[in-house]
Amino acid sequence: MSQAVPHAGESGQRALFHQICHPERRPPLRLESKDPRFGRTAALIAGVLIVAASFTLAQSDSTSRSILKGAAVEYLYPEQVTIPAAKSTTVTLHFRVAPGLHINSNKPHEDYLIPTTFFIPADSGVRLDAASYPAGSDITLPLDPTEKLSVYTDEFSIEARLVSAPGDHLVEAKLHYQACDKNACMPPKTITVPIDIIGK
Amino acid sequence: MKRNTLVLFAVLFILATFAWAGWANFEYRKEANEKMLAAAAMQGELVADPATGTLQYNSPLKGKPAPAFMLEDLSGKKVSLASYKGKAVLVNFWATWCGPCKIETPWLVELRDQYASQGFEILGVSTDDIDADNPKTLANEKADVQKSVTRMHMQYPVLLAGNTLDHAYGGLDELPTSFFVNRKGVVVAAQLGLTSKDDIESNIKKALGQTP
Repeated sequence: MSQAVPHAGESGQRALFHQICHPERRPPLRLESKDPRFGRTAALIAGVLIVAASFTLAQSDSTSRSILKGAAVEYLYPEQVTIPAAKSTTVTLHFRVAPGLHINSNKPHEDYLIPTTFFIPADSGVRLDAASYPAGSDITLPLDPTEKLSVYTDEFSIEARLVSAPGDHLVEAKLHYQACDKNACMPPKTITVPIDIIGK
Repeated sequence: MKRNTLVLFAVLFILATFAWAGWANFEYRKEANEKMLAAAAMQGELVADPATGTLQYNSPLKGKPAPAFMLEDLSGKKVSLASYKGKAVLVNFWATWCGPCKIETPWLVELRDQYASQGFEILGVSTDDIDADNPKTLANEKADVQKSVTRMHMQYPVLLAGNTLDHAYGGLDELPTSFFVNRKGVVVAAQLGLTSKDDIESNIKKALGQTP
């Protein structure tokens, strides 16, 4: 009796080897075995899988909103632009707001909200003559339907009138904004907008 | 006599060395503990409450002493968290530019009125920028905060933190963020973002020791 179990195990292992190496000879799949350990092992594996699946489901249910972190706005393009030197020229700059978030437009409805602004630091070789911002979309928060917010979501663009000195300038322009989702707000942030501006 | 003096100096030197080593070790452990607490506070997650289904902020500060602070209020008076020991305190981080905070604050004002007699207080900690080096800018920044305080009828102490407590309180990546501190100074609950007045009230009761 004590030898029968290893024998059964060996035959089981051999059968598994043949199933893997010779799939054409593979017998129909049967979830039964004469080896008593098979049932225990199967039950154990099933149990582990059920626990893992429950844990995964619980995780996905419980984290339906993650903590807001990182940059809410990404600069898209252009990376490089050639404009006439010493002449005010309009360049359209494209940005994207992260999904689920919004930032205040350049003209929020309330004075306590921080407007989105674009600027170029002094001594960049390029001067910002003027910036034209898109109108914001009006939204309301679910918990305060009375107050309308003027915001940018998804993609938006700013038309910047630039005056460049002759030459190649690696400009680190800035976008200042303050982002929120429907429940919370992130602190105001200034991101760098890198543009290679060639004045000819 | 000379030998005795030498022995005495040797003993005093050894004792002084032990004392210095003990003090250095205490300081090292204190610093390491503070770093560990700050690092733990930088993490955290939002987890659904099984009973209500609302998202709760599972802050690593829960069950730990609330990080100490001493801040100025709008009149320039220094206020410390430690001075509220014996009371249940809601440390509410907010800012003038935060829309959801504007929705939450009237709830806080009402709840403070309701529970103040039971030993409850709110400390509204403004995270608006403060430029302490420039008196004119600072005056404007204080005036902005005062404007919000008046508009929202905030009767509780409002303190100016700027970003000085960000690290100790887990980054403060979102506003509003609230920590509910019990009478012993221990954080018993935390909330990140706008939830509901009922959630806040339930956590106030925990801080007061009325519910587990």
